[in-house]
Amino acid sequence: MNRHRLRLLLLRLYVTVMLWVVGRALVATSRVDDTVRAELAPLPQGYQIQMLVMPGGPGFVVECQGEGTLVRAKVVKTLPDLCIAFKHVAHAFLVLGFQEGTAQAFAHDRMVVHGDVSHAIRLVRCLNTMESLILPRWIAQRAVKRYPRLGVREKTVKAARIYALFAKNLLLFK
Amino acid sequence: MTQPYYAFFCPVKIIAGHAALEHIPFELGALSCSRPMLITDKGVRGAGLLALVEAIFASSHVPITVVFDDVPADSSLSTVRQAAASYRSHDCDALIAIGGGSVIDTAKAVNILVSEGGDDLLQYAGAHNLKRALKPLFAVPTTSGTGSEVTMVAVISDTDAGVKIPFTSYYLLPNAAVLDPRMTLTLPPLVTAATAMDALTHAVEAYTGMAANPMSDAYATAAIQKISRNLLAVMDNPHDAHGRLELAQASTMAGIAFSNSMVGMVHALGHSIGALCHLPHGMCMGILLPYVLEYNETVGAQRIGELLLPLAGPEVYAATPQSRRAGRAVQVILLLRDNLYQRCQLPRNLQETGKVSLEQLEAIADMAINDGSIIFNPKESDRSELLAVLRRAWGP
Repeated sequence: MNRHRLRLLLLRLYVTVMLWVVGRALVATSRVDDTVRAELAPLPQGYQIQMLVMPGGPGFVVECQGEGTLVRAKVVKTLPDLCIAFKHVAHAFLVLGFQEGTAQAFAHDRMVVHGDVSHAIRLVRCLNTMESLILPRWIAQRAVKRYPRLGVREKTVKAARIYALFAKNLLLFK
Repeated sequence: MTQPYYAFFCPVKIIAGHAALEHIPFELGALSCSRPMLITDKGVRGAGLLALVEAIFASSHVPITVVFDDVPADSSLSTVRQAAASYRSHDCDALIAIGGGSVIDTAKAVNILVSEGGDDLLQYAGAHNLKRALKPLFAVPTTSGTGSEVTMVAVISDTDAGVKIPFTSYYLLPNAAVLDPRMTLTLPPLVTAATAMDALTHAVEAYTGMAANPMSDAYATAAIQKISRNLLAVMDNPHDAHGRLELAQASTMAGIAFSNSMVGMVHALGHSIGALCHLPHGMCMGILLPYVLEYNETVGAQRIGELLLPLAGPEVYAATPQSRRAGRAVQVILLLRDNLYQRCQLPRNLQETGKVSLEQLEAIADMAINDGSIIFNPKESDRSELLAVLRRAWGP
């Protein structure tokens, strides 16, 4: 195996872990943060959102439960309602490695959207909120266009609840 | 620091200048086409432009096989099906679109049906659902604004569902865009002004947006320079063929720029105002552009400031300190807007359009916040900020 292949293999491992975390963290955030719930509330029950790396993964699929909360999809539709697909694992690494913000990645055409674009815009705002809550400010600032006004107390309390839900679901194999 | 990356794509042949229309028969022959269908609207026929094109083809080796001139201002699926049926029944082998954005979009959609077969256009809706080249399509714009002759997008109304359906594919790009000043000489002053402001907005948003790149920058700045140098001259002398050609080229260059770097908040708000208040697109663009630039100034002052050079020329640019160039660029656009109001009463604010009420601004902001263009705006915006921009654009 040459060093280029080894590098891509390591990138794929990192991206796989990060997407695994992001999917679960997004589910947890939808139960903790009102703004995320408000963003997702207009999406119908059973609406599936997929994020993956072309071709065929890694990735995650979450499903709307109504009123803005998400769960991990147990049965994935052949064509999820919304799919955001990174064109290559290296592009996913740029975003998930916090080298390129989500909006900048869209501007750089790193991803393809299948489904309603306005729903993709909502999802990007949810991802931004999640990243701002669970990541240290200096990392989150690299991922979002504008770091939101977020008090230390609000950030700490919400991040703790998201991490707790994440750990609970992990222990329960949810 | 963001790592630079871009892709730039424009395979459309540009056929531009005096007597450009007369090149179409030869160009069609070069693509082995001999039975072209011409798609247009009643306005183009009424302005006498169709007679000119028919005469040119009659004296060539490629006669026009059939003319479809029933394209409405807002094209629909049924219009596309009717035109496709006519194409098939006359055994045509190429399409020529002569008109504004609606006509060119209709021709692109007709091309999907006649190339792929069937009557179900909706199965090709969305992004990149076409997998092979379509029939030859030539676009002859009769307005200088939309840039549709060089974009890979077509928007068709589904009148039954009450929604507009976008189609995006590299294969929707026309084979050629034909820019002949005779096609825009008779444009009314208000339409000339509104469409030019549309083209200016395409270029400005292409340059100041997040997906700007060196290639789109070159097209955008050249387009801005042509518009700022020629628009008022054309308004004062509508039969200025040279100025008309400059505006047509500017519109096409702006179209190439924005189709490779996208647009931002002006379009996000403009799409929503168009959908909710039915205000003409170019009019929205001209009203909103300066206020969105003011909003973006806190994060994009350098890029906006660089536009002072193509907008106002080297003397003004050199005489303006760097820190004040962005503000001055916005002032130049506001001055252009006021000059256009004096010449043709192009509305300066939303209030003057008479079509937008203060009560509608919240609904416009609600829709714009989820518009696909908003993500490419250089500055993040929430609903309250969109509303603030709309209130500034509402007027005194």
